[in-house]
Amino acid sequence: MRQKPPAVLVLLAVFATLISLIPIAYLLFRGSQAVDELFAELTRPRTLELLLNTTALVVSVTLTALLIGVLQAWLVVRTNLPFRNFFAVASALPLAMPSYVAAFGWVSLFPGFYGFWPSWLVMTLVTSPYVYLAVAASLVSSNFQAEEVARSLGKNRWQVVKNVTWPIIRPAATASSLLVALYTLSEFGAVATLRFQTFTIGVYNAYRSSFDRNAAAAIAIVLVVFTLVILYGERKSRGKVRNFEPHSGKRIRIKISGRYGFAGALFAIAGLGIGVPVAALIRWSVVGTSRAELQRVIDAVITTIGYSLAAGAIITVFALAITLVTVRYKSSFAGGIETGVWVGHALPGIVVALSLVFLGANLLPGIYQTVWIVLIAYVALYLPNGLAGLRNPVSQIPLALDEVGRSLGKSRMHILRRITLPIISPGVMAALALVTLTVMKELPATLLLRPTGVDTLATRLWALTDASSYAAAAPYGLLLFLLGGIPAWLLNRQIRKTLDATT
Amino acid sequence: MLKKSMAFLAVSTLGLTGCAATEESLVLYSGRKEALVQPLLDQFTADTGIEVEVRYAGTSETAALILEEGENTQADVFFGVGGAALGALSRGGAFVDIDQEILDLVPVKFRSVDNDWVGTSGRARIMVYNKQNVTETPESVMDLANAEWNDRIAIAPSYGSFQAFVTAMRVVEGDQATLEWLRAMSENALIFNKDEEVMEAVESGTADAGLVNHYYFYRRGVEDGFENLISEAGFFGSEDVGNLVNVAGVGMLNNSEPAKAFVEYLLSDKGQKYFSDETMEYPLTGTVQPSEKLIPLDQVPTAELDLNDIDQLDRTLELMREAGLL
Repeated sequence: MRQKPPAVLVLLAVFATLISLIPIAYLLFRGSQAVDELFAELTRPRTLELLLNTTALVVSVTLTALLIGVLQAWLVVRTNLPFRNFFAVASALPLAMPSYVAAFGWVSLFPGFYGFWPSWLVMTLVTSPYVYLAVAASLVSSNFQAEEVARSLGKNRWQVVKNVTWPIIRPAATASSLLVALYTLSEFGAVATLRFQTFTIGVYNAYRSSFDRNAAAAIAIVLVVFTLVILYGERKSRGKVRNFEPHSGKRIRIKISGRYGFAGALFAIAGLGIGVPVAALIRWSVVGTSRAELQRVIDAVITTIGYSLAAGAIITVFALAITLVTVRYKSSFAGGIETGVWVGHALPGIVVALSLVFLGANLLPGIYQTVWIVLIAYVALYLPNGLAGLRNPVSQIPLALDEVGRSLGKSRMHILRRITLPIISPGVMAALALVTLTVMKELPATLLLRPTGVDTLATRLWALTDASSYAAAAPYGLLLFLLGGIPAWLLNRQIRKTLDATT
Repeated sequence: MLKKSMAFLAVSTLGLTGCAATEESLVLYSGRKEALVQPLLDQFTADTGIEVEVRYAGTSETAALILEEGENTQADVFFGVGGAALGALSRGGAFVDIDQEILDLVPVKFRSVDNDWVGTSGRARIMVYNKQNVTETPESVMDLANAEWNDRIAIAPSYGSFQAFVTAMRVVEGDQATLEWLRAMSENALIFNKDEEVMEAVESGTADAGLVNHYYFYRRGVEDGFENLISEAGFFGSEDVGNLVNVAGVGMLNNSEPAKAFVEYLLSDKGQKYFSDETMEYPLTGTVQPSEKLIPLDQVPTAELDLNDIDQLDRTLELMREAGLL
């Protein structure tokens, strides 16, 4: 039975969606002043080339990240893989490495590492943790025994994967693949460093080479159309989320042959994703002579923690409200809200930042260049990450519990507070950790919108690498990585608890 | 006790943020690097008592920021690199006019035709070369297309100063000749990301020569001792586009006194001396001598070019991509 969501949730959801739409409104405004440029852009032969490049990169990165992430999750959660606790953390950790740092690390260790395959490799390594985390969480909260039953009924391993495991992980896999695809679409720093031409580079070049905001908006609108196509595809292939299945009895791990071979493969992936960038950072600090100033490092750490935690909390609350409205209560306007939040997610950070510069300087001078406008930018940028993390846990809430509550005469808010939220709290904590981790690395919006004189680890890292003071920059990169490791570690706790219970 | 000190902390923090926008303060948007600019700002504050609030980002991001803020910009002054960025802000109507007597401190070719921005320091493109392996420097930068330079010349095509130079080449030599040169360079050249890396490649012997902004060579010389370098700085022949001189410069967003004082300060002997001594750039006012190791600016054999004319960077990037350099 469809219920009406509490008004508070609807208000929060609508407000958050409006924030997400700020960049789109800005683009339409700018683009409307550049209709000629938009057509000129669309009909240039180079646009076709960019389209092919971008498509090739997005499709290849999404598929390999999906493959790697699912494999990592399945091996860690379901099998007798050795060193599982290590791999549980190591598989998530590349998420803490900003992609521009990873790319720069590769190039500085391997000069001449340019073009499509390097871009594919680096982007895959940076994004596969999204898939790993989502799929691992969905495997943990599903019933282990279905696979055993299917095996005992004589199905072979492939049939079990296809008919039992895939339906369980499919919603998580598609939601995280969507994040991966849009992340790849919006990426600038890494692909620019690795010299592969995509649409996002076209947007940046319009700012850099002709200082033309309208032309930049015209190209960015193409990115939005691209996003709509991907969103449509994801919605068609999402599949139905299964309700929470309480597991009973002892969970038995699947015994796989060649488990040390698999462990070796996962170790190699971790080495490429974590080892290479960290080695590059350490090499910077050994080779160079510049030194970081301790007080500025401390200030940057405090600001980074404060900003990312605040943004993580706000985004998680908004995302929870939206997910409850769209998934739990299946409101009639759910589709509109979801599209509104996701549609701008492939826009490069500079576009989102400039849309808030425009809004802040001209309409909201009271909060412009304060922490508030920075937080609004983070909401516009990363609300989809919160949605992707929460969709599965919220879908799995058993409806029956709700109905029991209703039959006992409890209010909707009461049920929400006392029944729904406690059930999904592990999922909420995971979403909080994921969003915090993503915010920590943000550069372009922070750089343009921050209060004067305030630095995060990412802005200091930028300033110092820009000045070629690599040795002074290295501690900022390593600290970002260490700090990012904390949410990554928390994200894994849930998984590790299950692991401990199983062994 | 703890509560009291927390309250004190809160009050003093509020106090600090509250006193920013007085008459005696200035908001600067800087596209130039903090490491180079901040000491100069500290010196300015010490000399004038005017506090500077500064926002650092890349030159193009800072320019976009100012254009997007429009009428309500927070900035009093923009300080950035390259005639192209300054020209774009001028065309966007961001700047107010600068007083004629200040403009006149700087030669006409290093300032805006619309009198609303002015160069504050100059940087020349040069060729650094290995003293042993290069006995005769080429007459023109165009000669680097010859096969004798195969795998010997280092460049940083993604660096803004190199791209400004290629834009100048288009103005002087035309698009076709420029494209042919770029194609030859993608065969001949060793590619790096920044001029600093090009300098390092020549100094470490990886490349025999490299195209860089002049100060990368001179800073290296000051740091390591010129007598210890294996490389030397050279110009091409007379009126060669390879010797392009570009500027870092300023424009004012309003006519406030602190803004004027800042622009004046940069063009004062003290400001000009900072550029000559600390960043090893060329002073532009003619009253301060460049660092003694530098060839005086008026003797740099550069092509006669107006910086206002080299602002069509998009076509440059297209050609560079076509040649496979980007």
